[in-house]
Amino acid sequence: MNRDIAKSRQRRRIAAGVLTMTAFLAVFVTPFIFILFQAVKDRRAANRLEFSWPESWHFWENLVAVIEARNYIVLLAFFNSTIITVASVTLLVIFAAMVGYVLSRRRTRFNGIVMALVLAGLMIPPAVVPTIWVLQGLGLFKTIHGFVLIQVAYGLSFSILLFRAFIATIPRELDEAAIIDGAKPLQVFFKVVLPLLKPVVVTNIVVQSVTIFNDFVNALYYMPGRENVTVQLTLFNFQSQFSSQYNLLFMNILLITIPPLLVFIFFNRQIVAGMTAGAIKG
Amino acid sequence: MSGLSLHGVTKSFGAVDVIKGVDLVVEKGEFCVFVGPSGCGKSTLLRMIAGLEDITTGEIVIGGRDVTWADPSERGIAMVFQSYALYPHMTVRENIGFGLSLAKMPKDQITVKVAAAAELLQLTPLLDRKPKALSGGQRQRVAIGRTIVRDPEVFLLDEPLSNLDASLRAQMRMELTELHARIGATMVYVTHDQVEAMTMADKIVVLNAGRIEQVGRPMDLYREPATPFVAGFIGSPRMNLYANIKGVDTYGIRPEHLTLSLDAGEWGGKVRIVERLGADAFAHIDVNDLGTMVARIDGEADIQAGQQVWATPIPERVHLFQNGVRI
Amino acid sequence: MQQKRKRRSPYPTWFFLPAAIIYGTLFLVPNIASLWFSLTRWDLFTAEFIGLANFRQFFSEPFLVKSILNTIIYAVVTSGLKTVLGLLLAVLLVSPIIWRGALRTIVFFPVMVSTIGVGIAFTALMHPTRGAINVALENAFGIIGPGWLTDPSLALLSVAFVDIWKGVGLATVIYMAGVVSIPQDYYEASRIDGATKVQQFWRITLPLVWPATITVVTLSLISGLRYFELIWAMTGGGPGFASDVVASMIYKQYQAGFYGLATAGNVVLFILIALIVLPMTWWFNRREVEA
Repeated sequence: MNRDIAKSRQRRRIAAGVLTMTAFLAVFVTPFIFILFQAVKDRRAANRLEFSWPESWHFWENLVAVIEARNYIVLLAFFNSTIITVASVTLLVIFAAMVGYVLSRRRTRFNGIVMALVLAGLMIPPAVVPTIWVLQGLGLFKTIHGFVLIQVAYGLSFSILLFRAFIATIPRELDEAAIIDGAKPLQVFFKVVLPLLKPVVVTNIVVQSVTIFNDFVNALYYMPGRENVTVQLTLFNFQSQFSSQYNLLFMNILLITIPPLLVFIFFNRQIVAGMTAGAIKG
Repeated sequence: MSGLSLHGVTKSFGAVDVIKGVDLVVEKGEFCVFVGPSGCGKSTLLRMIAGLEDITTGEIVIGGRDVTWADPSERGIAMVFQSYALYPHMTVRENIGFGLSLAKMPKDQITVKVAAAAELLQLTPLLDRKPKALSGGQRQRVAIGRTIVRDPEVFLLDEPLSNLDASLRAQMRMELTELHARIGATMVYVTHDQVEAMTMADKIVVLNAGRIEQVGRPMDLYREPATPFVAGFIGSPRMNLYANIKGVDTYGIRPEHLTLSLDAGEWGGKVRIVERLGADAFAHIDVNDLGTMVARIDGEADIQAGQQVWATPIPERVHLFQNGVRI
Repeated sequence: MQQKRKRRSPYPTWFFLPAAIIYGTLFLVPNIASLWFSLTRWDLFTAEFIGLANFRQFFSEPFLVKSILNTIIYAVVTSGLKTVLGLLLAVLLVSPIIWRGALRTIVFFPVMVSTIGVGIAFTALMHPTRGAINVALENAFGIIGPGWLTDPSLALLSVAFVDIWKGVGLATVIYMAGVVSIPQDYYEASRIDGATKVQQFWRITLPLVWPATITVVTLSLISGLRYFELIWAMTGGGPGFASDVVASMIYKQYQAGFYGLATAGNVVLFILIALIVLPMTWWFNRREVEA
């Protein structure tokens, strides 16, 4: 009888899994398959917007056409987006870690105010036009430097919360041992604490990279104009240019999906850990 | 009629046998204690009786019914978990009555039963508190209250005292024994602490590596341990056990059954250390060829570390084991 | 008399400085300035004080009022469904079904993908005549599907659907962490009491994932109230103004050069978020449960 019960339980597990997988494939995966199909069809087939197997595969043609479009703007966009992402994330991680470190270790009257300001960053929407006004005043409007600083400013709240929560789990005694050994504050931070923060640093890098790479609304406001396009802006603008070339439009979507896909494949666990840790502790 | 009986109960994970053919009868109203070192399978066995773990082969009978394949809720059991598993979002009243409200019992009936259990366990003034506002001992009583309202055939308790500090443990031991006397229920109690086993049990089941080493009344296990394992496990401090002397595989003598003399005796050696506990003291003696021998002496006796002494066993109290069993 | 020696703390306050400068200049200052500029007619160079005229306009012009209503509807719908579906999916994905790992990956992947890309793809799928959704509906069930994005009464909800599609994975992941942290003892004790799976969900799981619920609802509500990207990518606020929300309204005013009005929109959005989220957070914290 034992085998019967075990078998029926096993059957239920399989049935539930199969049902869920079917539903998930239908709901979550088919749109991506649609994107793929559209990206490899020829122009007329793609414009029909059918969800159908491609009659002919034009992967390379479409790829080349997209890259060459408007003077290789896609390449420029990828270049810009990469620089922006790398620069922003680097600054973000260091600055947020410094704040999270002091916030977590030191108990001053300031802590309450600082925390309130950090939480405000999660809640309050940025005031876009005044920000443009400030950027213009500083000569940073429509520049990559300015945009990088914007991304840092907007990403600080989440990163600080993440670091603060994680640093709280590193025993203070480690700092104290280093201080007794004569380390100065910067040395304690960079040589003792930061190395131990590796998991949360990786998580933060991954999460923020994807967020900044996929950001659209900020690029729209703060970096109009051709010189400093990002990949998201380019895609959006292609909607009008490729209004009757859906295959090329979708090939662009495919291209833009690849970096996050790669990140996802390699860093899946870190992303999930980061999202949940930051969210629940926040 | 027995409260609980196990016939040839085995549990295996693939090729590994975790519980190896257990046969046991627990009489109605008995307080039976499963005792043994960590990993011996006592908690697993308890959970198998509860229905939380599957059995590979064998039978479990409770109150005359075969419950081997029944759901936990249909076995006539109730269980106190080591962590108490008190729902933190419910009051004491709701915790105790939870099972009854799941079974859709009418509200006034639930109130009556909960009140009765609370009265029995002196929980009445605490009924509207939440678990986080209770002390360890109070939480344990709530966990017990939850089991009482189910009117089970058999109560199962999984190391309920191990989360309490030492002084509280002693007090709760007595409360549990009194409770058992008052409601006369069949109880199966799991612990790794042989003191709890000795003081609380009507019947002790000593388990080792998934097998029953011995079943019996506490004093029976003390006087006539069936195997060297039981001999070394029951009794505090531990029995002195030596291999391959006097023509037997294992020779045992308890510290309290050795007499010490400064002049002559069976074994001689130098006292390494004397542990003084007040009324008693224990001398740890280095005996040539044997190793350490622990002997109990009177607390006021003038025996010092470094002294040469002689120890003699009381002949009727010597334990001899051959091939793993008592002879 | 005591000798006071000033000890330099290993946690110096100047560590706050780089972050503080950037955050202060590019986030705090603009937000504070917005309070002033929302009361002006502004072209980025000169600002002319006009009192509450911008706000009066916001609450009187029908399309502006509608954008506020749309924002609330959008936020409530996306947040509500993300929360409910997220919890149900989480419970499903922590139970012992096969392919659990792959399923978790699949549900989370949309979270990572470009929003514009998703918007364009779904706009194509939702095309009233050629879109795959309506084609499938007609072929399989003989139903003529509506204009998902062209029907004014449906446009906003269609975008909300895509938002939920993209974002439910995040809610699921957060909930999974919460469900997994509930000690097994509670479920075992309830099994002995004869609880069914449904009873276990309502009386153990749901109350004990409360912290995760607070997080998911708060985060998704704030994000929903501020949302811009999908709406702009899929409908541009249309047809007409049918799917405009405050965020898209702000952009339209900005594009038209009405900077003061756009900034007033920001202030309205801020007040809207504060009015909804602050009381909610306060109420949540009162009902907090320690596990």
